[in-house]
Amino acid sequence: MTDAVPPTPGYRIAADIGGTFTDVACLSADGQLITRKVPSTPEDYAKAIIAAMAEISAAGGDTDAPLSFDEVLHASTVATNAILEGKGARTALITTEGFRDVLELRRIRVPRLYEPLYEKPAPLVPRRLRFELAERMDARGNVLKPLDMAEADRLIDQLIETGVEAVSVCFLHAHVNDTHEAALARRLRERMPETFISISSEVLPEIREYERTSTTVANAYIGPPVASYLRSLARRLKESGQDGRLLMMQSSGGVLDVDSIIAKPATVVESGPAAGVVGAAQLGARAGYSDIITFDMGGTTAKAAMIEAGRVTSTDEYEVGGGISLSSRLVKGGGYALKLPVIDVSEVGAGGGSIVRTDAAGALRVGPQSAGAHPGPLCYDMGGEAPTVTDANVVLGYLNGDALAGGSVPIKAEAARLAFETDIAPVLGCDAAEAAYGVHQLANITMMRAVKAVSTYRGRDPRDFTLFAFGGNGGIHAAMIAQELEMRRVVVPPAAGVFSAVGLLFADFEVTRSAAFLSVLDGPRAERAEDILRQLEAEVVAELDKPGATLRWSADLRYEGQAFELPVDLPRDKPLAQALEEITAAFEAEHKRSYGHLLDGKAIQAVNLRVLGAIAPAHVATMALEARNPPAPGTTRPAYFGKAHGRIDTPVIRRHDLTETPVPGPLIVEEYEGTTVVPPDATAFRDRFDNIVIDLGQGGAA
Amino acid sequence: MKPAIDPILLEVLKNGFEAIADEMALILMRTAHSPIVRDAMDYSTAICNARGETIAQGLTTPMHLGSFYDAMNHLVTTFAGRIKPGDVFIGNDPYLIQGQHLPDIYVIEPIFSGDRLCAWATTIAHHADVGGLVPGSNSIGATEIHQEGLRLPFLKLVEDGVENKMLLEIVAANVRVPDQVIGDLHAQVAAARAGQRGFAALLDRHGPDAIEAYAEALQDQAEVLARQAIAGIPDGTYSFVDHIDGLGEDPQPIELHVKLTVAGSEITADWTGTSAQVKGGINAPLSFCKSNVYAALRSVMPGDVPNCHGYTRPITVTAPSGTLVNCTYPAPCGARGITGYRIIDCIFGALAAALPEQVAADGTGGSTLPSFGGMAGGKPFVFSECVMGVWGATSTHDGQSGVPHMGSNQSNVPIEMIEADYPLMIDRYGYVADTGGAGEFRGGVSILREWRALSDDMYFGVRSDKSKFPPNGLFGGQDGAPAGTTILSGNSQRDLPPLPTDPETLSQGDVVRHVMAGGGGYGDPLSRDVARVADDLLDGLISADHARDVYGVIFADLATAAPDLQATAALRAELRAELQTGATT
Repeated sequence: MTDAVPPTPGYRIAADIGGTFTDVACLSADGQLITRKVPSTPEDYAKAIIAAMAEISAAGGDTDAPLSFDEVLHASTVATNAILEGKGARTALITTEGFRDVLELRRIRVPRLYEPLYEKPAPLVPRRLRFELAERMDARGNVLKPLDMAEADRLIDQLIETGVEAVSVCFLHAHVNDTHEAALARRLRERMPETFISISSEVLPEIREYERTSTTVANAYIGPPVASYLRSLARRLKESGQDGRLLMMQSSGGVLDVDSIIAKPATVVESGPAAGVVGAAQLGARAGYSDIITFDMGGTTAKAAMIEAGRVTSTDEYEVGGGISLSSRLVKGGGYALKLPVIDVSEVGAGGGSIVRTDAAGALRVGPQSAGAHPGPLCYDMGGEAPTVTDANVVLGYLNGDALAGGSVPIKAEAARLAFETDIAPVLGCDAAEAAYGVHQLANITMMRAVKAVSTYRGRDPRDFTLFAFGGNGGIHAAMIAQELEMRRVVVPPAAGVFSAVGLLFADFEVTRSAAFLSVLDGPRAERAEDILRQLEAEVVAELDKPGATLRWSADLRYEGQAFELPVDLPRDKPLAQALEEITAAFEAEHKRSYGHLLDGKAIQAVNLRVLGAIAPAHVATMALEARNPPAPGTTRPAYFGKAHGRIDTPVIRRHDLTETPVPGPLIVEEYEGTTVVPPDATAFRDRFDNIVIDLGQGGAA
Repeated sequence: MKPAIDPILLEVLKNGFEAIADEMALILMRTAHSPIVRDAMDYSTAICNARGETIAQGLTTPMHLGSFYDAMNHLVTTFAGRIKPGDVFIGNDPYLIQGQHLPDIYVIEPIFSGDRLCAWATTIAHHADVGGLVPGSNSIGATEIHQEGLRLPFLKLVEDGVENKMLLEIVAANVRVPDQVIGDLHAQVAAARAGQRGFAALLDRHGPDAIEAYAEALQDQAEVLARQAIAGIPDGTYSFVDHIDGLGEDPQPIELHVKLTVAGSEITADWTGTSAQVKGGINAPLSFCKSNVYAALRSVMPGDVPNCHGYTRPITVTAPSGTLVNCTYPAPCGARGITGYRIIDCIFGALAAALPEQVAADGTGGSTLPSFGGMAGGKPFVFSECVMGVWGATSTHDGQSGVPHMGSNQSNVPIEMIEADYPLMIDRYGYVADTGGAGEFRGGVSILREWRALSDDMYFGVRSDKSKFPPNGLFGGQDGAPAGTTILSGNSQRDLPPLPTDPETLSQGDVVRHVMAGGGGYGDPLSRDVARVADDLLDGLISADHARDVYGVIFADLATAAPDLQATAALRAELRAELQTGATT
């Protein structure tokens, strides 16, 4: 946690802009939280936010005057969508002579085995727009062949004539010596002032030419659309009378001013999923949970991330548009490599809309095909043709059989029941409830792999963590997933269904800078590393442009000879050369934890150095959520909890019916934003931050 | 009595098994030291049952999938009664333990519930060097296995939790790059240990009887699905003949003959007619042959068939002993990967007649494997990498370039890493125009890579293919361009044969240039959409001459690739007529 700046009066508003819905959360200085879910308006994203602002003004203001928001925070899929839909800028790439195909050759490996008909994703820059210039450095940064500016000028003439919207540049070894890239960048910016210029040594000064090229190209490709989106959003907000500061969530989990984002847009590609994880870290910590695995289950996918000692786990091995892949670290090549810090989110193709079927061998299958929001589950009665996980949850009685979202989504439970009775149960040789319970379990199993990918795959035991559940379906599945993994506790925060928007309100203002180092960290070289870190820190402080920042140094370390690094914090308060033992110990502890062993006698090498600066948002002591359309007191409905428990007449309650005194399950907590299921052998209470806390009464590891 | 199988718990456990195998794969990759394991990912992980049959494979190398069983069966049989918790086994020899080839070292840990042996956590990794004639231990010129390096029967690398330091010292003394080899072995031990831990947790939770019964049920399920998929292939006999270019300076074609017989839900691959084993390191043991037949057939099965031993039950592989695909002692096998690739290509070649829409035309036939070795900074170095790869076209799209062979899902090694770590420079890496086999759908274009030696007296060897028999087209599609390797030294240049048996010595400044073969085309080139031909021209994948001569497309403006449709129609008619005449005379 970072030092808080004094609270500011007034309101802050956050919007998580998705393809279908925009989730909005507004927090007043005194802690009142108002949320809204409104349809997204892709033709003009600002429209939905402005409409939600008006609604919230009406609900939350003391006077008739519209509220004025000090800060407007948002997360958006605009960058991801530009890549997924192939609607980025017309981009050129300039490389070292002999290497224009590095981008398209990728790392060769394909994401699927046994598929002779596989097709690679098309490169973001077609070959006809990839150009080469004669120049060359060696691995130590010595110039072997100088860059010929006359040749560069001829190429720029050609680019101007061809008409491109963005130009990316990646020369070999530019992370070691950037003089050629810098010279070309100056000339490009001089001669093509209206064109977005993306330079590898500025975007990602790190070793590995494919990853650096791909990141630099992606940055260029999304640069113009992200800039035009952000400028239009800022203009529209201003026109509507809002002149609060506009901030956007980065993939790393920190927010940044839009001007900085426009300069380096590749940092916002995973803007959306980051917000919920950051919210979990912040709200979890204040409620006393600092070791958390987040579980975010929506309609088509479920995502998990890890928060350890209050800190979100990040990675820089990431591909955008790779499709849903749990083992993204193992199976690469399906998307576009983006080697920038991103919250390590693992994702599986299981959600409320996942389609249920039986295969030729009589086995039950759930997903990965999804009915999504349209046509949706059978019980939505909107044209869905196959039963889904949500239908199973209706059959089980977990979901309200009449309507969801406080009555706004009518449910046709009969359609769901019929499908299980006639299509699924007979194949499995059981009744509809048992079949639906099987579906629920299988969806859980698939989703558990997402949880395991961020925990056991990294040497962490999930039993040491609290499962923090949100997303439209998170509360329905979380408790049973936690039971399977022998986790002790589930926390379902208020406004869980729009939690990503809530999370945005708690994100730090954050800037990072990195530099390549690639050398063993010993005495004299530690001094050089420290010089580089001080330089990076100066850049970070300059960009933050505000006092009160927390600064953190880290390095990507590995044993000499390995190809993969582990991030380790470096001390800032003493000379690095005097901290080598403690750095070694920290690396060894992390290696042992991640992989189960150490390599005695091997030197430790620092591959990259990194500085992060963060400023925390204004502190809000408590948070109160308005309740809408709660179930009538005394309501119960039968819910099926497997052979061991059978069908139980289960109380259906509001969040505020829970107190700090635990009550035994089964219980169903129904809210406008979502449903939480407390299974029979668990208890639940409401903590003073309004979280539903489910205690699973399991030993856990500790 | 067998417990009743709950289909839901079966699915739960199947996921559990696969997750363990994947976790093992991840740990191995992340902690490995050699470029061939950590970057190229030439390794595999699996969980096997007590008999050594694969239950789940990590997402790694398909051609390794079937490779565990024969070696595991050997291990289980020879060590019966002497397998204890805390043991870790190591071995590599194709003849002593039914292994693969000497560089592929198995590291295997048994998994117990109490004192009952329930399963195995198995790993296999291609090591940078195991000694022998040449750096990288994949000499084409070896004439018997004793020249190929260190032979290990199954031995206990760890016994009762204690590592056998002497054994590691023997290994270290017999390889050129002990740091990398020992580092990779430890990575394998760490992966096996993780597999053991994960599986032991499942045993604790469900009990060994249930786990065993469910693992069996999974094998049965895989068999049922495999049988269904095979039943979907029209009954009949499908034959195919493919070639390896041949050994040394005067290569004589080496033939692979396969006869696939599909009868109901069973399939037999008979390799009778295949060339005799050769005096060169490309011979494949039968276990490797089977492994590749399984991998090829797996790829025409639906995606949800579990990757376990059960799916191989309806598949029979027969090969006469003493042939290239069932070699006998002391035939050398160091570079037998090429034969594995060709086995897979043969199966696809045969299946093309039965399943024309499910297979691609012929591709580059697997990775080219260059090896460099010598001294750098007073220490020996070995650098090998897998250059890949080009696929043939399919009935719906052009062939892919920059993809692995289906048999081995491997990666390239970053150029900046090579130049930072080895006395080598990469001068060029990219596509070559006019090399994709023409067709309605074009084969993938060739890939070229150039290595420049930065020190003198550097060893170079290469395993490549498809320079004499380039990848064939399908259904009217043309062959891809042939492969080739050239050494450029000063002003002179010299072509190497595809499988040189003599080592080459490079001097500082010498350049090795390798061009892979282009992929085969699919369908009639004269039916290719003119817009696709125009795109290829703009992208520099074909020249205007090639567009005219092969595709019959004339451009009104080369800069914009605007076609002259009238001239094109006329030329295409003329070329068709020529073909007709050619066919009738």
